[in-house]
Amino acid sequence: MRFQKQIIAFSCALALAGCAIQPPAETAAAIDREQLQIDPEVNYFVAVTELLSQRIAQPGGETLLQIQYAIEARSNGDLAWKVTWFDPNGMVVKGVGEGYRKVSLLTGQTRYFTATAPHARVTDYQLHLREPQQ
Amino acid sequence: MFKLPIVFCISMLMLAGCATPTRYIDPAADDGPVTMTMDYRDFEKAATEAVDDMLASGAVSKPNGERYIMVVSRVTNDTMQRIDTDQLTKKIRVALLRSGKVVTTTAVGLDGAEDEMSARVRELRDSEEFDQAGVQRKGTLIAPDLSLSGKILQRNHKAGKEQQVEYYIQLSLTDLATGLATWEVETPIIKRGPNDSVSW
Repeated sequence: MRFQKQIIAFSCALALAGCAIQPPAETAAAIDREQLQIDPEVNYFVAVTELLSQRIAQPGGETLLQIQYAIEARSNGDLAWKVTWFDPNGMVVKGVGEGYRKVSLLTGQTRYFTATAPHARVTDYQLHLREPQQ
Repeated sequence: MFKLPIVFCISMLMLAGCATPTRYIDPAADDGPVTMTMDYRDFEKAATEAVDDMLASGAVSKPNGERYIMVVSRVTNDTMQRIDTDQLTKKIRVALLRSGKVVTTTAVGLDGAEDEMSARVRELRDSEEFDQAGVQRKGTLIAPDLSLSGKILQRNHKAGKEQQVEYYIQLSLTDLATGLATWEVETPIIKRGPNDSVSW
């Protein structure tokens, strides 16, 4: 009788352990990635007034992700920007290079920049604006 | 008597200690000084803009979804620097290959094939030393559909107490069936710096 109770308790403990929440595998859906990242040094002199994206149709039937953003400068300054592209699994899709593109802005000027994904499998992106160090 | 050499040695050691150490540069985080000559950042900028524009234009998307075959034609270096234009064209080729839309042939070129092995291995036909089952058959090489050509220009100007160096990277993509340039781009790279800096 005593053994029976122990076996039942042990079985219950095992069943409960089996039902315990497993840590979820990291998936693209689980990654909460910001599409726009602006460094504080840049934030004080520019404002991103637009951030648009669209899929442009290709003659072969595929579509490519294209983004466009607009920045308005509150004072003269330089900034550097880079877009990192991601596939549906959240993996980086390589473009031409890894360098930042540098731009100069005049007070009150609004400039528009576009970038096109390097491959049709790109579904997401991250735009990073930072201050060039030099 | 030994004082002078000792002082000299100590001075040399101190100077060596103060010298900037050799270090690796990460292209993804390079905020180093700008040079008046064309450096890798300029080639990367030009290639990025070219590939961006080429993909967005649809000029390298075949209507049936297949890949185009591209050959790299002449890219003329009309600057005062000794530039290997492959620094530019290789980046474009790699990006286009990765895009899945274009593959470059190395079996044909203006100054002969880029990789002569495609022709050389065909010389193995009828050789008794080689298993003929593995030798490339006739009519397997694929002719290109597109040709990439271009020019890199340099213009120097005096701008007050400074000098201005202008580089123009011009690229064209020609449809070899029609001879028409179906895509073109010009990327200007303008630099201004002290007169004593050299741009060659």
